[in-house]
Amino acid sequence: MLFYLLKRVGLAVVIVVVAVVLLYSMIHVVPGDPASVILGPRATPEMKQELHKLMGLDRPFVVQVVSFLGKVARGDLGMDFFSQRPVAEIVFKQLDETLVLVLASITWAMLLGIPLGCYSAVFRNTFSDKLVGVFSIGVIAVPSFVVALYSLLFFAVTLQWLPAIGAGESGQLLDQARHLILPAFAIGLGWVGYIARLVRASMLEVLNENHIRRARAFGLPETTIVFHYALKLAILPTVTLLGTGIGRLISSAVFAEIVFARPGIGKLIFDSVVSRNYPLVMGAVVVSTVLFVLSTTISDSINAMLDPRVRERL
Amino acid sequence: MSKPNMQFSKIRLSRRSFLKASAASAGWLMLPGLGMHPSWAQDTRVLRVRDYGDPQSLDPGIASNLYEEHVNAAVHNKLIAYKPGTKWEWQLEAAQSIEQLDPTHIKFVLKPGITFTNGFGEMTAEDVKFSYERIIDPELKSPIKGDWATLASVDVTDRYSGIIVLSKPFQPLWMTTLPYMGGNIVSKKAVEAAGGKFAAMPSCFSGPYVIKEREPKQRTVLARNPEWKGAPAAFDEIHIFPIDDEKTAEMGFEAGDLDYTRVSMSSYKNLKKKPPKNSVVEKYPSLYYVWLGMNMEHPKLSDERVRRAVQYAVDIPSILEAAYDGVADPATGYVPPGLVGHRPDTLVPFKADFAKAKALLAEAGYPDGIDLDLEVRNKAVYIAAGQVIQAVAAQAGIRMTLNLHDSGSFWSLGDESKGDRWKKLQLVLNRFSSAPDPHYAAQWFTKEQVGVWNWERFKNPEYNQLYEQALAEADKDKRDQMYRRMQELMEASGAYRFITHEAVPVIYTDRIIPALRPDGMPLLRYFTTA
Amino acid sequence: MNQIREIFFRLRNEPMGIFGLVLVLLVVACAVFAPFLVTHDPNALDIAHRLAGPSFDHWMGTDQLGRDVFSRVVMGSRIAVWVALVTVSLSLGIGLVLGMMAGYGPKWMDSGLLLLFDTLRSFPTIMFALALVTVFGPSLQTVIIVIVATTFPVYGRMVRTQTQALAGNEFIVAEEAMGAGMMRVLGVHILPNIVGPLFIVASMDIPVVITIEAGLSFLGVGVRPPTPSWGAILNDGYAYIRNTPWIIIFGGIPLIVTTLGFTFLGESMRDMFDPKLRKDL
Repeated sequence: MLFYLLKRVGLAVVIVVVAVVLLYSMIHVVPGDPASVILGPRATPEMKQELHKLMGLDRPFVVQVVSFLGKVARGDLGMDFFSQRPVAEIVFKQLDETLVLVLASITWAMLLGIPLGCYSAVFRNTFSDKLVGVFSIGVIAVPSFVVALYSLLFFAVTLQWLPAIGAGESGQLLDQARHLILPAFAIGLGWVGYIARLVRASMLEVLNENHIRRARAFGLPETTIVFHYALKLAILPTVTLLGTGIGRLISSAVFAEIVFARPGIGKLIFDSVVSRNYPLVMGAVVVSTVLFVLSTTISDSINAMLDPRVRERL
Repeated sequence: MSKPNMQFSKIRLSRRSFLKASAASAGWLMLPGLGMHPSWAQDTRVLRVRDYGDPQSLDPGIASNLYEEHVNAAVHNKLIAYKPGTKWEWQLEAAQSIEQLDPTHIKFVLKPGITFTNGFGEMTAEDVKFSYERIIDPELKSPIKGDWATLASVDVTDRYSGIIVLSKPFQPLWMTTLPYMGGNIVSKKAVEAAGGKFAAMPSCFSGPYVIKEREPKQRTVLARNPEWKGAPAAFDEIHIFPIDDEKTAEMGFEAGDLDYTRVSMSSYKNLKKKPPKNSVVEKYPSLYYVWLGMNMEHPKLSDERVRRAVQYAVDIPSILEAAYDGVADPATGYVPPGLVGHRPDTLVPFKADFAKAKALLAEAGYPDGIDLDLEVRNKAVYIAAGQVIQAVAAQAGIRMTLNLHDSGSFWSLGDESKGDRWKKLQLVLNRFSSAPDPHYAAQWFTKEQVGVWNWERFKNPEYNQLYEQALAEADKDKRDQMYRRMQELMEASGAYRFITHEAVPVIYTDRIIPALRPDGMPLLRYFTTA
Repeated sequence: MNQIREIFFRLRNEPMGIFGLVLVLLVVACAVFAPFLVTHDPNALDIAHRLAGPSFDHWMGTDQLGRDVFSRVVMGSRIAVWVALVTVSLSLGIGLVLGMMAGYGPKWMDSGLLLLFDTLRSFPTIMFALALVTVFGPSLQTVIIVIVATTFPVYGRMVRTQTQALAGNEFIVAEEAMGAGMMRVLGVHILPNIVGPLFIVASMDIPVVITIEAGLSFLGVGVRPPTPSWGAILNDGYAYIRNTPWIIIFGGIPLIVTTLGFTFLGESMRDMFDPKLRKDL
């Protein structure tokens, strides 16, 4: 197991490095100049050159990549030339916003998805089970940005029940919570379906296992069996699903953040790509890639712990 | 919800929820919404405004964006400042008096008792000297160096007075230098202590407000300056939110998150017809200018007849109707109406003339039409305008391909220092901002700017000569003639089709009285409560 | 032919599958017959009637340039179906070749390709897309490149796993012992065995692919205007969401119909033929 873990972490590091190099090279063949954007319309050619030097853009490409990786290894993401602040500070601040959004989405999706899955499993093959099944597939299929647009249109613009944009006044929890509802709804909806289906499937598997059958033979009511014994086991795959799902979550967070004009890592990346703010793009990408690789590594490792077959496959 | 001591924004939140809830249970909460605000007296008054960009540099000597100036103007002082209102005028700010002694000498006397925060002491003529001379110091590499292009020195005569000495007369000084970005006065001691420039956050302020907090990309918070002795600031705090997209800002306003914002031209009519509760919608003429530019050195466009064909194939009325919702007027050049140098008319009529365009194309050797690329910035209004240009020009046999660019890519399209893209550039839908003096716009189209901001690569000796002359010309009518002629030269080259100056519609809550420049831009320090 | 009859026969008992099939046929028919269905030229401006509400002449109203939203939505189905066909077959092809190389080739090749797959998958799709779009500039080709680059690793990994599993099988080992070349082993024995499940996965990827295209166009980094992609229609509508909501409403419906249709159909087919599929991924 230890060997597996080492191998997995090694792979994770290699992936991050390759991803950084790949992105760095892409960014540097991109047309467009951060200097024109940073310095504004009144920049002179000399000023632009000066800024290039400051940003290290005049050095050979390889030198730039290596020095960047070296800094990252030491936990230094560099400075943002727009705001003169450490990139790490900006990125982590935005990351918090995204994590709160992702967490809120996943939480409500689980709160609804798990009971739905259990219900389906208990009443398997009934009409209502099928209905839940169709509902689950349906919500998985619908693009989250369409859900975001529709909910913005109906709940914020037409009915004006909820705020349309932003993340709310900082420090005012109620306000922030209200701003969270629509984006979290848009991101989480599809996950209700995922989780319901997954819980149903693993629940059915668990319900067929011996100790559950024994419990049933003792005459325990089905609901007790489901919620006290089976659920604990059935929920594990859901946890690992979340690990692999983080990339999808961040992707849908980009749309939710743009539609609802929320601060967050997705919007940060989008905005900084648009303005060619390389230090911020790189910082944000490194952090989110690490996050992604970390979560897949953890979920894979949990999987491997539970299922020895996985270990051999690597 | 029923704590009596609430913040302004909290109350407004409750008001919104209230409108949906039953009337009896929380009736008192509605008071602020009705325009009565007894609670303001004991609570924090916060003004929440939106700006289109996030300040990058807050050192007034280095800042060059309008949204930076909006902050700087509230936290620093200038000798003279723009007067809120509908006419471009200036009023005294830090100066007690200011007068032009002769074309190259300006005498000023400071008001005594203006202090810098953080113990940096009283503002003196030394600070004025330092603030203006540092801008032309090559060491600082200030982007606004051009505003002080002919500054020779500032001579201090006593503690409060001094003389600004110019090497050559410089007419734009009174409208675009002193009351604008180049006019902010900083503390010499503080800047020197900071090593020559303020890095992230200035260490002292002198205006009615100070910068309390900067959350990059989220907001800038200004707070009342306790040491300010002038007319008291109306708000305890001003929160400035950087929101690039106007539609987003409109939604934010309707949701009650903002007190003042510029809105999009396409929403103006609807907002005016049905303004959100307790709000005021107004429209201001703008200084921006939008035009279709043509790269004169591109092989396809080097023939003047082709360029003129494009001029005739662009239909201004339909662009204004579709992309600007009929809110904006056509432009005749880069100087909007009401300013020196405004042209009353154009050579090519606003309405497209397909027959003429086709004839010119045929003459130039393109009887079957021509394929051209049009570069457009990736924003709703330009995409709409681009599609109208494309659809209309097709009727004259000009087939355009629209290429969208984000701002990073767009702003380096014609930049020679950024590779070979300028050679491939054909048509570009461009828009520059300006200031209330024609010189400001005129400077980008000189020979020296070719490959920098002059992407049409327009080189005209007469233009350059007039540009130099106009800088020094004191006679208003003569200046007027000169700038008119310069714009005519541009249009006659065929490389420019001026489209519009746009318009600046704004919306604000009736709880505040905004103080705006004639072009609708905010002068935050003069905002008050209704 | 028999297989197709078999599919339809089995689908009879799957109401969800039939529903999906109907929706898919609707969308495909829409794409095929688009030029006959449109009531107006989808790109023709009519500035006098811009932002008009749904009417007898304009069933779904008009957009900010006075273009007929119904005609744009109908034409948009062509973009969606075209993008789906091209990208899924490209991804499938690339994934198949690289996956078999990884699964059957030498160890170093396997490790290298696996690293490539995992790296490409480790970018959140949209970020990767943004980076690529800034390199190539927004256009339909770029969208296709982006989608292929982000989806082929999934096929690659899947094909690799399946190839490895098959390569260990007795009959393959026997073939190899008899001197069969790599091409023969891969082409005759492995390919036919993995192609079936792969097609089901691919069909389930269609809605995903259509969503990515629409998403990119919605962000303004997809197809070039005035191409009527559904995402571009939504983008147009987003700017006018408050006063002319029908653009968003009608722009979203075809996306929902299409993704639902393909997903329902794909799910039913998978349940029918290979219920265990995808659990391995």
